[in-house]
Amino acid sequence: MYEYISSNRRKTIFIIIFFILFISLLGFAIGYYIDYRYGINGGFSVLLMIVALIFALITSFGSYYYSDKIVIAITNARPLTHEENPRIFYIVEGLSIAAGIPMPKVYVIDELGMNAFATGRNPKNSIIVLTKGLIQNLDDEELKGVIAHEISHIKNYDILLGTIIAILVGMVVILSNIIFRSFLFGGGRRSSNKNSGGGIFNIIFLLLGLFLIILSPIIAMIMRFAISRQREYLADSNGALITRYPAGLANALRKISAYSQVKTANNATEHMFIANPFGKGNKMAFSSLFNTHPPIEERIKRLEKMSLGIGVKSTEQIMQEINK
Amino acid sequence: MLAAIIVPIVILVGIIIILLFVGIGIYNGIINLRNRIDNAWSQIDVQLRKRYDLIPNLVETVKGYAAHERETLENVIKARSLGIEAKTVTDQSKAENVITETLKSLFAVAEQYPNLKADQHFLRLMEELKGIESNIAYARQFYNDSVLQYNTKIQTFPGNIFASWFKFTPRDYFEIEESAAREPVKVKF
Repeated sequence: MYEYISSNRRKTIFIIIFFILFISLLGFAIGYYIDYRYGINGGFSVLLMIVALIFALITSFGSYYYSDKIVIAITNARPLTHEENPRIFYIVEGLSIAAGIPMPKVYVIDELGMNAFATGRNPKNSIIVLTKGLIQNLDDEELKGVIAHEISHIKNYDILLGTIIAILVGMVVILSNIIFRSFLFGGGRRSSNKNSGGGIFNIIFLLLGLFLIILSPIIAMIMRFAISRQREYLADSNGALITRYPAGLANALRKISAYSQVKTANNATEHMFIANPFGKGNKMAFSSLFNTHPPIEERIKRLEKMSLGIGVKSTEQIMQEINK
Repeated sequence: MLAAIIVPIVILVGIIIILLFVGIGIYNGIINLRNRIDNAWSQIDVQLRKRYDLIPNLVETVKGYAAHERETLENVIKARSLGIEAKTVTDQSKAENVITETLKSLFAVAEQYPNLKADQHFLRLMEELKGIESNIAYARQFYNDSVLQYNTKIQTFPGNIFASWFKFTPRDYFEIEESAAREPVKVKF
C-alpha cells in the first residue's frame, strides 16, 4: 500500500514536470516564430520562454493547492449541509473513522444521473462529491459501498494524481487548441504576402500546429496510461474492506450503470468518476482501449466473488428499485 | 598487513550500523502502531460522548409520553453514568454493552406509545442515535484492527524482542457482548 501511494506521488511530480517543460517549449516556439517574422534576433524566444516558465510554475502550484476548488467549480457542485441530509453525513463520518482518515467535506451535484468522485490533494484536504440522483436512488448499504470506494481513493492519494491530471492536462489541451487556431489563421494571412522564403517556414509552423492538435489526444493517452485501470479494482476491494460488505458496492454499481450520465463532466474530469459519466455506448470502440474505467460488469463480478454472493441483489430487483 | 585488520573492522562497523538502522525502523513502526491505537480510541471516545449527550434528551422526550416507565428510564440513566465513569477499555466496553441493552428496552417500551412514535423530536433523536451507533461500530472496527496489528507486531519475531526490551504490552480489544444477543428473550407477564 505504501509503495502504491509513493508511486502516485512520483507520477504527480512527473506530470507537473512534463507540464512545465511543455509550456516552456511552447513559449519558446511562439517566441521563435515572432522573432522570425519580425526579424528580431533571439529576443522574443527567450523572453516568452521565461514568461511561459513563470506561468507554468504559478499554474502548477495553483493547481496543487486549489485543484479541489477548481474541480468543484467545473463540475458545478455545492456543499451539502448536515441539516439537509444527516444520513449522508453519518455515513461519511463513520466510514472515514473506519478507514482512519479525517472526515472529508461532502458536496453534491444537482443532477439525476448516479455518479460520484473524490478530489483534493491529501486526506486532510479532501472532498467527496455525490450526485443528487445517487443520494436519492441508493439505499444505505449501497451508499456506504460507493462512499467507502471514494474514501479508498482518498487514502491511496489517487485523488492527488487524478485532480492534477484533470487540471493540467485540461489546460494543455485548451492551449494547444488556441495555438493551433492562431497558427492556422496567422499562417494563412502570411502566405498571401509575397515574402520570399517565408513559404518554407509557414509550412514548418503549419506542421507544428498540426503536431499540437495531434498532441492533444496523445496527452489524453498519457493521462490514461498514468491512471492505471487497476486503481478502480483496488479502490473497490479496499472499499469493501472498510464496509465489510462487498455486496453493497456491487449492487450500487449495478444500479449506477443503468444511468450514470453527468452533464458537467468532460474529457479532463472523466477519469475521476466512479463510473463513466458519459454513460455506455457513447464512445467509439477505439477509445475503449484507453478507457480509464474497467468494464463495470467485471468490477461487479469481482465484488460478488468477494461477498460469496451474500446480499447480492438480482438485476430485476435493482431495476424495480430504480423505477420506484 | 594493515588492510587485513582494517577491512574486517569496516565490515563489522557497517553491519552494526545497518542493524542499528533496521532496529530503529522496527521500533518506530511499533510506536506508530501504538499511537494509532490511541488515536482510534479517541475516535471511539468522541462518538461515545455524542451518545452520552443525546441520552438525557431522549429520556426527557420519552418521559413526556411514558412517565410511569420509571424503571426503564432509570436504567438508561444509570448505564450512562456507568459509561462516563469507566476508566479501562474493558470497563468501557462492558458499560457500552449495558447502555445498548437498556436503550433497546427503552425502544421496546416506546413501541407501545403511538403518540411517542409519531413525535417529530423523538424521530429526529432516533435518527441521530442510529447514526452515532453505526459510527461507534466503525470506530470500534478501526480500533480493533489497530490493536490486532499492534499485538501481532509485538508478539511475532523480531518485534517480540523489542517488546521485551522496551516493555511493550498487548492492548485490549473493544469487545461487544455477543452472549447477551444470543440468549433467548425472557418474556415477563
